[in-house]
Amino acid sequence: MAAPSKEETLLQGRDREESLSKEEILYRTWDRRPGLIGWLSQVNHKAIAIRYIVTAFTFFGFAGIAALLMRTQLIQSNLSFLSPETYNELFTTHGTTMMFLFAIPVMEAVGMYVVPLMIGCRDMAFPRLNAFGYWVFLIAGGTVWVALITGNGPDAAWFNYVPLSSEEYSPGIGIDVWTTAITFMEIATLVAAVEMIATILKLRAPGMSLNRMPLFVWAMLVTSFMIIFAMPTVMLASVMLALDRMVGTHFFNPAAGGDPLLWQHLFWVFGHPEVYIILIPALGMISTIVATFARRSNAAYTLVTVSLVAIGFLSFGLWVHHMFTTGLPWLSLSLFAAASMMIAIPSGVQVFSWISTLWGTRPSLETPMLFILGFFFIFVIGGITGVMVAAIPFDEQVHDTYFVVAHFHYVLIGGGVFPLVAALFYWFPKVTGRMMHEGIGKFSFWLALIGFNVLFFPMHISGFLGMPRQVYTYQDGLGWDTPNLISTVGAYMYGLSWLIVLVNAVWSIFRGKQAPPNPWGAGTLEWAVPSPPPPYNFETMPVVQRQFPLWPTDENGPADPNLEHSKISDDIFDPQLDQRETTGTRILDARLERKFFLAGPSIFPLLLALSVGILFIGAIFSLWFVPIGAVLSLICILGWLWPRNKEEWR
Amino acid sequence: MATTKTSTTSVLTTYATGPGSHGWWAIMLLIMIESTVFAGLIASYFYFFSNATVWPPDGIKPPDLLIPTIYSIILWASVIPAYVADRSLANGNLGGLKLWRAVATAMLIVFLIMKGYEYSHLDYLWDDTVYGSMVWMIAGFHSSHVVVVLLKTLSTQTLAWKGFFNAKRRSAVQATTLYWLFVVAAWIPLYATVYLFPNFA
Repeated sequence: MAAPSKEETLLQGRDREESLSKEEILYRTWDRRPGLIGWLSQVNHKAIAIRYIVTAFTFFGFAGIAALLMRTQLIQSNLSFLSPETYNELFTTHGTTMMFLFAIPVMEAVGMYVVPLMIGCRDMAFPRLNAFGYWVFLIAGGTVWVALITGNGPDAAWFNYVPLSSEEYSPGIGIDVWTTAITFMEIATLVAAVEMIATILKLRAPGMSLNRMPLFVWAMLVTSFMIIFAMPTVMLASVMLALDRMVGTHFFNPAAGGDPLLWQHLFWVFGHPEVYIILIPALGMISTIVATFARRSNAAYTLVTVSLVAIGFLSFGLWVHHMFTTGLPWLSLSLFAAASMMIAIPSGVQVFSWISTLWGTRPSLETPMLFILGFFFIFVIGGITGVMVAAIPFDEQVHDTYFVVAHFHYVLIGGGVFPLVAALFYWFPKVTGRMMHEGIGKFSFWLALIGFNVLFFPMHISGFLGMPRQVYTYQDGLGWDTPNLISTVGAYMYGLSWLIVLVNAVWSIFRGKQAPPNPWGAGTLEWAVPSPPPPYNFETMPVVQRQFPLWPTDENGPADPNLEHSKISDDIFDPQLDQRETTGTRILDARLERKFFLAGPSIFPLLLALSVGILFIGAIFSLWFVPIGAVLSLICILGWLWPRNKEEWR
Repeated sequence: MATTKTSTTSVLTTYATGPGSHGWWAIMLLIMIESTVFAGLIASYFYFFSNATVWPPDGIKPPDLLIPTIYSIILWASVIPAYVADRSLANGNLGGLKLWRAVATAMLIVFLIMKGYEYSHLDYLWDDTVYGSMVWMIAGFHSSHVVVVLLKTLSTQTLAWKGFFNAKRRSAVQATTLYWLFVVAAWIPLYATVYLFPNFA
């Protein structure tokens, strides 16, 4: 008898595998490798997203403690609880952490977890790239905090204006930590954005055309494009500053033809879209939660989508409103003031859509919905003070006072953090398989709402009374004592509410009520998989026929919580269960066109992150680390991309 | 990447190039990111020009045009063999891929050598005035991108010589070609800004 042909051997192998269930084979294909190496080489989007969220909230906690320390210093006039130098490092690190190391990573991470489930695919387009982004984030953020704790923290405010941050006025490595760590960190943000766009455009389930895509997915798509165009500008600015400090270039040195104002332009061209990058995912989360709790699809879906895109574009035309007091020509200032007010229009469309969606329904007021209502209250106040500061004469009075501090905390915490907490309570059952404790959740909401307002509302008043930002103490008798005292009390209340949320989350992971796959009765695809989802997300790839696949159609059709009627046929998809595969569809109409094979676990993302880290962090100490890091990075990139699988060579 | 088992009903391809491939999107997005940086560099150059009374400042002569124009033409022309190599591979002609890529690579190396010669003979450095800073920054940034194209090409050439690519499996070569086109095209506005503008404006 002739030796069995290759095909026969393969078929025999498959016969043996028939004795394993489909689920078991999928687990074997998609699960991580065991042990420490397995943990370090993990690439699954859900695992990476959880790491991002835990790390981001750790940084949030550090920055929150910094804030409590600052508020303690300010509780009374003329205190010396903190020295001015320490105070400067604290407010710089607080702002830098909140904006770079918490707000954007956590919003990206929620997207990283939820979007693949919402669009019906098995992982994101480039799983190893996701892992690389996480390691970069960890190293960059760790560097900033190690620098602070060792007394080498940056101390020129989160926006790091020259000439204060130049070599002349800030010798020492603090500012170098800022320039290198921020540039390094933005690599992670950009990588996550590229990942999100490629996944949303190409990996959606068949039938999920653009007009059936959930609003949260639209929000993440718009956000990711904004990141692509905003982040490189701040990277350019910080590289220019690093060069000025390290090798003597003159970009910001007026004596040699440079201009400190260029820093402000480049920074705020990034900085203004940045706050919308934080806000827009939150808008998507709110649309999702409102639809679920109102048990109704979002009103004016098309208008809302167009508004999200409009906010994305418009936000790039507002940056000079951070520079109203710099002496730029009146015509340009006026144009930016008008644009800053104009962006209230698409934002308003979102708010009206939510009101319309909720109108006439009786949403049950569980904790996610409460935080959404808290968002409405706080964000609208922040939006109103925003329109106030958009008026140039008004801004000239309150620029660099506590009024601005009040405004941006209202929009960032109201517009970003409250929806984030709502999203946490909302998706917690999906991620962990358990519900968060509802009673404690409601209590923490009220404490957060009251504590936040006690903390930040008085700042409008101290701002009007002239209290400047970023001062480590103040004289008595100026009328600032009472607002500051009230704010500090509010800070402790608000901090306590977060402690309670943390305790609730940790306790609920171990002792929370078991969650069914769809505790909220929601309609989007992530609720069709078990809680927590298996590593491969969907056992059979879904096909989508309407905007909320799990809800009944208008014609009283059946609800489809298990997607019984919406699965792709084996004939067409031809699943090879031992390969990591997912569907690839066309962008507009999501017609099925191909299969994508996705990468599996690899240690190279970690190695590359370490190499690029050596390049950037090493540059703080010696420029020789730049070529060294570059060579190491090249080796890691080759190791990452080199085709190893024998089958790839056929 | 494995081939699917033969099945008469499966209609799904696994290899793709162009917008059907997620790798294509990754390279296009990378190009968008880097274009933003180049745009920022050009904007900064003109920002400093608009602040200055005389440009170039401080007695610096406008840049010499002969050598830069020669190497720029070589760089722009390198797109032709690079593109021909890509098309050869798409038509299954591996010999064409290897030959024309080698020609294009040689042109890149000539560009870098001439650039190195020009900058080693420049009579101002990056710490001379903001003009020096901008000129060296733009040159350094763009040239490091050319080096990256060189490295990408050398890696894909090595794989090509080992027989990895064919007419269907070629997205890595396409990615290199796209990035090549970008780096070469970016040199058009950069060349105009750094070399033509101070001489003619």
